[in-house]
Amino acid sequence: MAVDLKMPILIVDDYRTMLRIVRNLLNKIGFTDIDEATDGKDALEKLRKRTYGLVISDWNMQPMTGYELLKEVRGDAALSSLPFVMVTAESKAENVVAARQAGVNNYIIKPFSAEILKAKLKTVLGDF
Amino acid sequence: MAQNLFERIADECVDLYRVAFRRRRHLKDLLDRDFRIGGLARAMEEQRTARNEMEAAVDRIMGAAERMVAIDFSDPDAAAAVVADCCGELMEACSFQDITGQRIAHTIETLGALAQCLDALENDNVAVGDVAEKSSLLNGPALPGNGLGQGMVDELLMADDKS
Repeated sequence: MAVDLKMPILIVDDYRTMLRIVRNLLNKIGFTDIDEATDGKDALEKLRKRTYGLVISDWNMQPMTGYELLKEVRGDAALSSLPFVMVTAESKAENVVAARQAGVNNYIIKPFSAEILKAKLKTVLGDF
Repeated sequence: MAQNLFERIADECVDLYRVAFRRRRHLKDLLDRDFRIGGLARAMEEQRTARNEMEAAVDRIMGAAERMVAIDFSDPDAAAAVVADCCGELMEACSFQDITGQRIAHTIETLGALAQCLDALENDNVAVGDVAEKSSLLNGPALPGNGLGQGMVDELLMADDKS
């Protein structure tokens, strides 16, 4: 089944430039409904107010990191099956393993290309 | 008279020893191996890496701009495709700001700890703060040669799936 390009997506990053880059890349793919949050806490509040089809989150943010956000999401019955992609500069094996164990759906290392983002989203969501 | 002089010299020596002892305590923080290697040496390497990343990003941005300047607009469709491609290139190149921003943040943190140590050394009575201990899972962008590439991350995710 084709992915609904109108589904709401939440992108989480504390760098405005990255939010703009990811938003623009998602627009380029065809996604139109994109919300932004600047850390895990802000994201969690938004996730509890609206139904999203995907979260794309950075790791290193304050006060709540993307990793903590992932664990909160997986621990919340209403959100636990939400596709979650980590997009981060944290490239140590321990980070990847921890994120995988916490239930991340995919993990993209910054800096990344539009092709990488598209390929990983296809892996997580299916074809579009 | 001589006795008095000796006593004064002895007192001065004791005071000097006390000052030196206290200052040495502050210097210990600066000479700490973790601070010098994990803090100062890493901050220098982060700055070098950030400089190289900025140079690479500017090179990409300039390259895309030059490609757009050279567009032959007599073929509008081909020109539009090149513009779209160059815009994508520009956006990807701008992601350097996030990575270098994190590197600079690390350096600011280290300089802050250094300033605190020097302040304690000068004022003697100011307690030296420890460099904020970071979670082991907050490493920041890897320095060249450390960290995993996307291919290795993918393998790790798949390997973990199989286990």
